[in-house]
Amino acid sequence: MTKGEMTPADAMTAAASAMTETARLGAKLLAGTELFGRLRNTDVQIATTPKDLVWQQDKVSLYRFRPLAGQRVRVPVLLTYGLIGRWTMTDLQDDRSLVRNLLNLGVDLYVVDWGNPSRADRFLTLDDYVCGYLGGCVDEIARRAGVERVNLLGVCEGGVFTTCYAALEPERVNTMTLTITPIDFHADAVDERPGHGFINVWARSLPPEDVDRLIEANGNLPGEFMGAVFNLMTPMRTMYKYSFDMLDVVDDEKRLLNWLRMEKWIADRPDHPGEAAKQWLKDLYQQNKLILNELELDGRRVDLGRITMPVLNVYAKDDHIIPPATSRALGAKVGTPEYEELALPGGHVGVFVGGKSQKMFAPAVAAFLQKHDEAEQDGTGGSSAA
Amino acid sequence: MSGAGATPPGFGVGGFDMGALAEFWAQAGKSAMQAQGQAGRMLAEAMKAVPGMGGEAAFAALSPHTAELARAGQAMSDLWTAATGLSHTMSSALASAGKTAHPTVDSTLRAVADPRTWLATMGGMDGMAGKMADGPQLADLWNAERQQARVAQAWMDVRRRGLEHNAVVLEAWLRAGQAFTEGLGGQTQADGRMPDQKAMLALWTETANRVLLETQRSEPFLKTQAAMIRAGTELRLAQQQVAEGWAKSFGLPTRTELDDVHRTVTELRRELRALKRQGRPAPAAALAVRRIPRKETKP
Repeated sequence: MTKGEMTPADAMTAAASAMTETARLGAKLLAGTELFGRLRNTDVQIATTPKDLVWQQDKVSLYRFRPLAGQRVRVPVLLTYGLIGRWTMTDLQDDRSLVRNLLNLGVDLYVVDWGNPSRADRFLTLDDYVCGYLGGCVDEIARRAGVERVNLLGVCEGGVFTTCYAALEPERVNTMTLTITPIDFHADAVDERPGHGFINVWARSLPPEDVDRLIEANGNLPGEFMGAVFNLMTPMRTMYKYSFDMLDVVDDEKRLLNWLRMEKWIADRPDHPGEAAKQWLKDLYQQNKLILNELELDGRRVDLGRITMPVLNVYAKDDHIIPPATSRALGAKVGTPEYEELALPGGHVGVFVGGKSQKMFAPAVAAFLQKHDEAEQDGTGGSSAA
Repeated sequence: MSGAGATPPGFGVGGFDMGALAEFWAQAGKSAMQAQGQAGRMLAEAMKAVPGMGGEAAFAALSPHTAELARAGQAMSDLWTAATGLSHTMSSALASAGKTAHPTVDSTLRAVADPRTWLATMGGMDGMAGKMADGPQLADLWNAERQQARVAQAWMDVRRRGLEHNAVVLEAWLRAGQAFTEGLGGQTQADGRMPDQKAMLALWTETANRVLLETQRSEPFLKTQAAMIRAGTELRLAQQQVAEGWAKSFGLPTRTELDDVHRTVTELRRELRALKRQGRPAPAAALAVRRIPRKETKP
């Protein structure tokens, strides 16, 4: 026998192993086919925690979640997601829900949904979202709860909106919690982990005039366009997703539904209003105006030093989309000594849907909110009733 | 793809012939690249012959674009030839790992030797740019000749930029393939046996991911991708111009007019929101606001 050839015994073992593996795969595919035949799109539901529409303006809707436990944090919280993707990821399913976890800890929680921008919304700017719609949400929550200030909880681009609002209207904000929020858009080079911070590099590679032409041609920044950029960031994962990844879960109903819920969220990619997209890509990603205190909204400069309320800055240790250094840069710029950070295991989305994060995230936020829960401002001991 | 109608050799003749498959795709791909360049030249010649198309002037304007398209096609064709050489090497290595134990692993490893898989994955932006640029097709009722020539120009630029970008992606595939082959050699067991297919897949995944991530950040990738996006944008704008002319002639609202309306409505809503906020009572003055000294900030 020459080197590299199998012995007859080895060949028999290999053949037996192959047959076993093939049989196992066959059983898996059979079960998966039956499951797929049974499942309907209506079986795949996300963001199912009950809530009520309390305010609307144009395409923007403000919801209040129905409480799941006795109230332990008096000042209400406004959850603000960005314009890329939708807030529903924070309430993906019952056991993977920041929303539910906060409600179970007695938080009075609201969420703003930006709707589905169309070409008619192409001229909306970040000014409109921050000073207009977000400001309107804060006013409405404050009115309903009988408070002067609310707690803000911003996620990713929504965290940037939150940061800008807190800097422009600090007297309306009780505390600010940020999650996976970029502040210094050029700090991606700090960590230099392979594959991390690609969006920062990519955005900087586009000539500013190309960004203008892209928006001129499309009106908005198409949701599927950003989706394609995100797919580039995990090339092999993207290639294997509908083969190996799906094969892994196809015969387990619970795991398959989890997988399908994530797919449902990923597929929901609204377009980003054009003028706001230009500001996002040029003013922030390219010119990095936020950390430099050069960003202007509504004719006013966003000065991070005017953020004087307590801040909790949550970031994901393995976030390849928002590298931690880009979030943590906030600490050196805020005008409050009451600044805390929380590093969570996992990546950009894993922070919300990962098992380990579930046990850490909401309790930390609730504890922070309780610590800074203000007594009623207007002296009447007002209620949280509408 | 031209030439794709032929039955690939090796199929249905017992066993799977990876080398033959690689050869088939290589020939098909090469033919397609050459055809694209030829198509550009033929289009320009045809346009030159049509009365009213602008004659020599239009042809002269298109010539640089057809020449560039032909060059990009040739470059891609050359790269494809190199890819097939590596494909044969990889096919031999994978075949020596023995018969498949896992059909999915086996099919994935087959995809390793097929450069088209790489183009399909990394060229996601190409498809996206193309989808954004192509848009709805118009009847050529109101064929403003110059606008149409502009569209043709823009289309050729999209094809050219797509080829240039895919060439960068294909080069990355070649590097990954070479790194994988070297890594495979390093993992060959002491008795000369190749690692099993799961180990091979793990090696391929790690190697390819690393090379792809490095490539994404490289100047050639970013530059060609930006150029591809720009070309797709310009094609879409050129098509929109044609659409505007057509719509105007039939008394239909144009994109420019609608954008004008939307801009006006947005500005009016902005003013209305500001007026509403001004009309609201100010927050109570007596707040227990925490007075914290502000840090010095530098604008």
